[in-house]
Amino acid sequence: MSDTNTPNDSYDGDQSSLTSRLAANPRPALRWAAVAAVLLVLEFGAFIGGTLTVLHALVLGVTGLIAAMLGLTISKGIETSINEVQASILSQIDSVRSTAEGIPTLLSRETIPNQGHRLGPDGPWAETFMGLEPRLAWLLRVTLIVVYAFVVAYWLFRGWDIFRIYYRQADWTPTDDIINRLRSHRWGVFGVLIILLFLTMALFGPALGPTTVEANIQSPYGHYVEYYSNETGQVENVTVGNANFNSKSKGAGTNVGPMSYDSFDRFHPFGTLTNGRDLFTFMMGGARTTITVVGIAIGMSAGIAAALGMISAFYSGTVDLGVLTVADGITSVPQLLLLIMVSAVFAGHWITNVLNGGFLLAILFGLTGWPGLWRAVRGPALQVAQEEWVDAAESFGQRPALIMWKHMFPYVVGYLLVYASMSAGGIIIAMSALSFLGNGLGVTAPTPAWGRAIDLGQNYVSTPSWHISLIPGLMIVALVTGANALGDGLRDAIDPETESGSGEQTAAGGGA
Amino acid sequence: MNKLVYLGKRIALAIPVVLFGLTMAFLILYAGPLDPVYSILGRKASEADIQRLLVDLGYRYPNGQEVPLWDQYRMVMTDLFTLNFGQSWVVQRGRPIIDLIGARMSATIWLGWWSVVIALFVGIPVGLFAGLRANTFSDYFASAGGILWRAMPNFWLAVILSGLLSAGGALSFYRDWGADYGLATKVVGTPPEVNNLFNVIPLFDGIPVLEMLFLPIPELQNMAVAFKWILPGALVLGSASMGNEVRIARTAVLESINSKYVETARAKGVSARRIVFKHVGRNALIPLLPIIMGEFYLLIGGSVLVEAIFGINGLGSLYLRAIFQTDIPVIMTLTFIFTIILVVFNITQDLLYTIVDPRISLDDVEG
Repeated sequence: MSDTNTPNDSYDGDQSSLTSRLAANPRPALRWAAVAAVLLVLEFGAFIGGTLTVLHALVLGVTGLIAAMLGLTISKGIETSINEVQASILSQIDSVRSTAEGIPTLLSRETIPNQGHRLGPDGPWAETFMGLEPRLAWLLRVTLIVVYAFVVAYWLFRGWDIFRIYYRQADWTPTDDIINRLRSHRWGVFGVLIILLFLTMALFGPALGPTTVEANIQSPYGHYVEYYSNETGQVENVTVGNANFNSKSKGAGTNVGPMSYDSFDRFHPFGTLTNGRDLFTFMMGGARTTITVVGIAIGMSAGIAAALGMISAFYSGTVDLGVLTVADGITSVPQLLLLIMVSAVFAGHWITNVLNGGFLLAILFGLTGWPGLWRAVRGPALQVAQEEWVDAAESFGQRPALIMWKHMFPYVVGYLLVYASMSAGGIIIAMSALSFLGNGLGVTAPTPAWGRAIDLGQNYVSTPSWHISLIPGLMIVALVTGANALGDGLRDAIDPETESGSGEQTAAGGGA
Repeated sequence: MNKLVYLGKRIALAIPVVLFGLTMAFLILYAGPLDPVYSILGRKASEADIQRLLVDLGYRYPNGQEVPLWDQYRMVMTDLFTLNFGQSWVVQRGRPIIDLIGARMSATIWLGWWSVVIALFVGIPVGLFAGLRANTFSDYFASAGGILWRAMPNFWLAVILSGLLSAGGALSFYRDWGADYGLATKVVGTPPEVNNLFNVIPLFDGIPVLEMLFLPIPELQNMAVAFKWILPGALVLGSASMGNEVRIARTAVLESINSKYVETARAKGVSARRIVFKHVGRNALIPLLPIIMGEFYLLIGGSVLVEAIFGINGLGSLYLRAIFQTDIPVIMTLTFIFTIILVVFNITQDLLYTIVDPRISLDDVEG
């Protein structure tokens, strides 16, 4: 965090730049980079595709907001010209994305296909990976992808380790202690693993599902499946939409449960939804939406909280009181009620088209979430603002913004991390609650959202179709527990002395 | 600092806070893209009707001129703070909002009361128990339970529980429990008994002013039925807080049990029971206080979802209906009431702090 070398700070001669240290002893770095390159090449298309999707949504949302604000305040002309710029940027991103997704990747559904059909009543499978049963082909692919993701994560960590051992100037920094403490914190490591698993789902979702969101959920009537029909005794062709229609899970009689095949030779790891769509694919799509929204929201509220926390600590007095009033004002309205209110007011507004409603949710969580984080940061920021080094920097004329950034932020960022990961659970829960309520709140249909799956299965909890509500809920519980565990681990790693419950309320999602 | 001075200061500071929150709600509802006229009159309204309605709702003056946002703001705020809540626009058009709220209030209070009480009476003992037996199997079991219990979304728990309780579900026997004592209940919908929990006996019939005093006699049978009916919802609503209470009570016990004063008490022969209740329990209460108070915060938000799923006709479901039907005055009034309740609880919490733990000075809890 605060410990990387900044060459311009040098006060004596023996500081060398990172490049010269790399040149002096290139072997460990080269070895690491070689493996990293292999790992990257394996899944290059997926990485670029995922990054560009997020970038696309961000550009759309941010420029859209700027255009709308300027259009309201200055003139309509500016709005249209910004919209033109926006359209051209977006089309460029789109074209890069489509070429990136065209690059063959090793762990894709094309190399290890699981969608095939039988050739006879009990006959061999065709078109699946090496003629395996779809269940096995799918399991193989999922296992490989998860292993790959964990190897990548380990390798990134290894990169930091190599940097620390071979190339860092300092023998020891406080970050080393934090990381060592986190490594031996079993509960915290559990949290890291869970979060990694969900990040994998979000990033590799399209390759993890037995089918894709596009083919199974967005435009099922534009895609076809082949299957062996027991009635006609031969392989038939049908649209995915028709197949879905006859694979619904609606209680006894019509049900496709977890780990089973429907009558169209399709395998459903989590069973199907009430409309016959594949629940696993739906959940993977939902993971991407959830992680994106939570990421943007946390980033936004942490940014606001850090800036305001340092400003209120640095200037204190009236400024502090003003921020306090605003923060209290936002939290004085129960968060969930505020969220429901704003999402209902904006239901059907153009902003719900950005990221299928996720962008509005992210902004809402960002704007309503920062007071909690600000409270957590304000105390430590007040403490550090009274330190001598801040006084010293002030007296030799450093600009306030620079003082806050260089001398206060490094001290505060740890607390920010702890409370940010603790409030993630609340955001996940509240977000799925909004999608559960439906009626234009939350993520818009048919884009997958975990809360909507729970809503769909509401009437089938005590029927053979219990999986529809149960599995999405269990996944939410797992993710929230993981985020809480990560928060606990970080807290113990960063500041082993503190043990407080201030993060407890935020983790509950305003009662959702 | 004197407690009264402190209280006055806190209230003075709370005014801008409440005002900010309500202004935010006002701007969202009145300046945002809502169309109450459409939701009242529908698509096929005549121009004259629309005009009349706009005047009625306070958006236009009778001469057809638009009321500026600032004037609308002043009107809405004065009405709220003088407790003149007006009438519902859509949910039950023309009915005074105070009536609407009064009719639904008892269900929400009944639900909320039991969710707090159950959470307290389950969560704290379990947490104390786990803390006193730290690092045993039962401790791990209780702690893990607390962690999972608070990670479960209320609405999901409600869906699963109401599904299990429904006909054909694994818990459907619950409804017929105690049928011999007249306790067979439904589990979905508002218990009708909730409005007859007390037999109100006037004390001074016919004497002016004093006739407002009355003696509430609990109607035990009605209370039992209403309790059994509302129990699943209350369990769900209290779940997150219960998990928190287990965790906090456990760590609080662990902290105080290793302290010197407990050792001293043990050395001079104080009984184990007395140590747990007097020395450990009271100190463990301090960090629990914000959690207990925070429960009210979770309760207000959570009641919206729990009431919607269990079909309880309370304030939470009223809020949801008002939102979906663009009944702006009802939304504004409920927001006002909830905000005031929250702020009052916040101030109470800080005052209670100083009573439970006299070491905390009134200056510490400010801000």
